[in-house]
Amino acid sequence: MTRITFQRSGGFTGRTISLTLNLDDLPPDQASTLNGLLTNANFFNLPADSAKRPVPDEFTYTVTVETGQQSHTIRTSDTSAPESLRPLLDDLSLRARTQRA
Amino acid sequence: MSHRHSIFCIIPPHMLKEIAQRGSPVQRSLALRTIATSGQIRSQRTAWQAGIAVMAATASAGNKQRAIYDARQGSQLPGTLVRSEGDAPATDIAVNEAYDGAGVTFDLYYGVYGRNSIDNNGLKLNSTVHYQKSYDNAFWDGGQMVYGDGDEDLPPAQRLFNRFTISIDVIGHELTHGVTQYEANLNYSNQPGALNESFSDVFGSLVKQYQLQQTADQADWLIGQGLLTANVNGVGLRSMKAPGTAYNDPVLGRDPQPDSMSGYVTTTEDNGGVHINSGIPNRAFYTTAVEIGGFAWQKAGLIWYKTLSEKLNTNSNFQNAADLTFQTAGEIYGVGSLEQNAVAKGWQAVGITVNASGGIPTPQPQPQPGPGCLTAVLRIFGLAR
Repeated sequence: MTRITFQRSGGFTGRTISLTLNLDDLPPDQASTLNGLLTNANFFNLPADSAKRPVPDEFTYTVTVETGQQSHTIRTSDTSAPESLRPLLDDLSLRARTQRA
Repeated sequence: MSHRHSIFCIIPPHMLKEIAQRGSPVQRSLALRTIATSGQIRSQRTAWQAGIAVMAATASAGNKQRAIYDARQGSQLPGTLVRSEGDAPATDIAVNEAYDGAGVTFDLYYGVYGRNSIDNNGLKLNSTVHYQKSYDNAFWDGGQMVYGDGDEDLPPAQRLFNRFTISIDVIGHELTHGVTQYEANLNYSNQPGALNESFSDVFGSLVKQYQLQQTADQADWLIGQGLLTANVNGVGLRSMKAPGTAYNDPVLGRDPQPDSMSGYVTTTEDNGGVHINSGIPNRAFYTTAVEIGGFAWQKAGLIWYKTLSEKLNTNSNFQNAADLTFQTAGEIYGVGSLEQNAVAKGWQAVGITVNASGGIPTPQPQPQPGPGCLTAVLRIFGLAR
């Protein structure tokens, strides 16, 4: 099993959004897409905190991925996120912000 | 920060001249210094007030240099240059909004406060639009403004946010983060961070009021009016007049801003709630501006601007801001003036009592019981008991 916990904080609106996904519970094509994004980001080798000093109004992202074997948490931001990670952040942001509170 | 003794301001010049001519050498020296000091304060106050009128009348020239870039939904900054200063309008509305909004913001700072761009040295105003996909945000990255398209690339029924250039106060807000960076450079966390946010909301709203030529009682005092789509139950992102009431929606949730210190939110999210607790100083400014009346950028805005640019530092908290805006109002408009009292009322409304010694330095030692200001000075000169 793979579980993704996501939080996006800060931003002009100051609104924190969060999401927990169990990939086993998702339709297979979506789970496959997310697994692909994690692989492309080389997620388990990303630094734990790549966010520089706070930049006014930018988003800060915290992502935790847990599998049966390992767990890793990273913190990053709009101006510091590696390019390879952005598609994953985009996907999770969109899911989190369109769910009803 | 200056160390003027504003207590001297109220001694009539003729009395000081008398002391200078007839007093002992020490008295004469004190009196002469006082004449010089109070003359300096008066002329400075006059200069500020005259300067406002002159600069407002002559409109702004200054060194206004704008450039708008297009990130084409990517994250590389600044992106492709699409409009430079003096170019004709583009066909892209976001480009033109970013250009025009930066222009009005420059005009407010230059025309009203005499500030030549973000760094007061003609810094070029660079903005990037169409940053990332479905990016519901805008920010200042330390050197330029960055705007997302909101949800304009989602199906209409799912959209919560319009493009972030749609509200001119958002543009003024982001540029003011730049001004703050070059001045007080308030730390972006907890109370200094909430002050940083509040100054951006204050001048963001003033940019809009300046553009619309609205008085304090005509303005909507909303941040992000027009930013929320019709799918959201809300009038904007924040209300400076009534923090906590801007929206209440099944998806967005409820506006979390407190309207006074009793509701101060302690959190680790959002750099310590910088966009939440900013509601407190926001309402202090609103109350001050309405109390003074007229165009809010002229007096309340000037007090806040001078406090930001001359008094606050990286670690300043709400109490410091209250004390120093009060002190600044005393320096510009006089101790005990309507304007200074309005500042005290503004902070009182949000549960913060200004420390009056921030505005009225007391002579040493302080006589008991407290004498009138005039008596205190005459005692210093040995002319009263």
